[in-house]
Amino acid sequence: EKQAEKIVTNPKSTAAATHKPIIDMSELTAEHIPDAREPSGFSFDHFHRNKVIADAAKSSGAALPSATKTGTTIVGLVYKDGVVLGADTRATSGAEVAEKNCEKIHFIAPNIYCCGAGTAADTEKTTELISSQLELLRMDTRSPSRVVTACTLLKRMLFRYQGYVSAALVLGGCDINGPHIYQIYPHGSTGKLPYTTMGSGSLAAMSVFEHGYHDNMAEAEAVDLVKRAILAGIFNDLGSGSNCDTCVIRMDGSVTMTRAAVAPNETQPLRDGIRHSSKLTIAPGTTPVVSSKFERFEASDEREDPTAMET
Amino acid sequence: MGDSAYSFSLTTFSRQGKLLQIEYALNAVANGRTSLGICTKDGVVIATDKKFSSPLVDSEHVHKVEAVTPSTGFVYSGVGPDYRVLVRNARKSSQAYLRHYGELQPVSQLVKSTASVMQRYTQSGGVRPFGISLLVAGVDGDGTPRLYQVDPSGAYFGWKATAIGKNYINAKNFLEKRYQDDMELEDAIHTALLTLREGFEGEMNAKNIEVGVVRNGKFSSLTPSQIQDYLDEAN
Repeated sequence: EKQAEKIVTNPKSTAAATHKPIIDMSELTAEHIPDAREPSGFSFDHFHRNKVIADAAKSSGAALPSATKTGTTIVGLVYKDGVVLGADTRATSGAEVAEKNCEKIHFIAPNIYCCGAGTAADTEKTTELISSQLELLRMDTRSPSRVVTACTLLKRMLFRYQGYVSAALVLGGCDINGPHIYQIYPHGSTGKLPYTTMGSGSLAAMSVFEHGYHDNMAEAEAVDLVKRAILAGIFNDLGSGSNCDTCVIRMDGSVTMTRAAVAPNETQPLRDGIRHSSKLTIAPGTTPVVSSKFERFEASDEREDPTAMET
Repeated sequence: MGDSAYSFSLTTFSRQGKLLQIEYALNAVANGRTSLGICTKDGVVIATDKKFSSPLVDSEHVHKVEAVTPSTGFVYSGVGPDYRVLVRNARKSSQAYLRHYGELQPVSQLVKSTASVMQRYTQSGGVRPFGISLLVAGVDGDGTPRLYQVDPSGAYFGWKATAIGKNYINAKNFLEKRYQDDMELEDAIHTALLTLREGFEGEMNAKNIEVGVVRNGKFSSLTPSQIQDYLDEAN
């Protein structure tokens, strides 16, 4: 008789009365599972239900909504005297370019910068938050921040949000232990590498890195490799475009942040090349003034009594 | 705080209309080691006496002058542990301001928020007022250097030059005689050191005082070698 109850309470089935509902969701939540304990920590109540939905969707041929790809190319590498970070400058909103020259290399500490791919607000706010925490820590400990500290703070926060904060980061900097590059994924996993790329253009960029990287590069060579990797992403990935920004952080403490280190997509020359008809620009004074009269208009607060509409 | 046994404030009015706990807190400040500050048009200097009762104390790792934001610093007279609580609180609240407005908190805002914390402890259940007066050096929203004093009651005052702690009356008289409106920061640092030496018990050197300076909108604590240079110039 439990079956009969379900058919009556499920509103969908009253319309198609002869159909038995395929799934009753309430059956799959914690209250109906025998021996359900009080959930503590993470709640996995919907795990079973989600799996059943996914399987049902697959079998019926319906497409589940897919995650939006992160349109970006970001890279980082370690060279002889420090690290070089690089990023493109396109921000997309679906298939539309939302911003042609956005800044993807974020300040974390005077000796640590972070490239961010994913949801722009998430990368911006996450890096700002960790930057603030590191400043407090620097004042408390009276010593410069370490890259591993930034990495740990970032990954712990991202894991806590279970991937819902969509921030994929390439973290780089120099500290007392040397130059470091970390890659941080939205779910909180990290990797420490001599060179890395992330974002939708990461494959194009990585192919350039794998071809050209070697240990202990000189600065000029390293910056050139980073530029070529980002350009590969800009030209071969639709989600990346416009200019290439670079940031060099050296062991001696100096930082060189270059916006538009390479700007291969300037639109101004193209716009200038368009020949506008002279009829579109009319100089002031073209129309002769025959006469002019000025009348003062007094705005009054009095209104005529509105007459009610007759219905 | 409501259902604790101490839901009433410990700071209550006397018949004469005084808050005795605050007066006693001010006494605790007046027993503390001297601190002073001078504000000029191109910067602020704050300094404090860091002499300890025993030469065995490792004074290098005790810090009385503390940075709160990259452009403001605190120094105090009174009960040290109370000071550290306020410094931590001020640092956290100015970071929250930075995250919210995208700008460093101007010193006047920081002073107001710190003062309101100190006032809260004079009107809450089961707590006592802070046993310190603060000297705050920083720059305001328009870049003007400023010096503020915050008292245990939560009252705050802007000063051209002031002193707190032991011997503050003599120090203030000394400062009043020497202060000039068109003083420059370097003169102010020398004057601050001279004033500190006036009331100093025993020999003053770079290890038993601390100096903080706001210069070009940035706060920094002078290193012992920098202090020694100034002391050498004064001799």
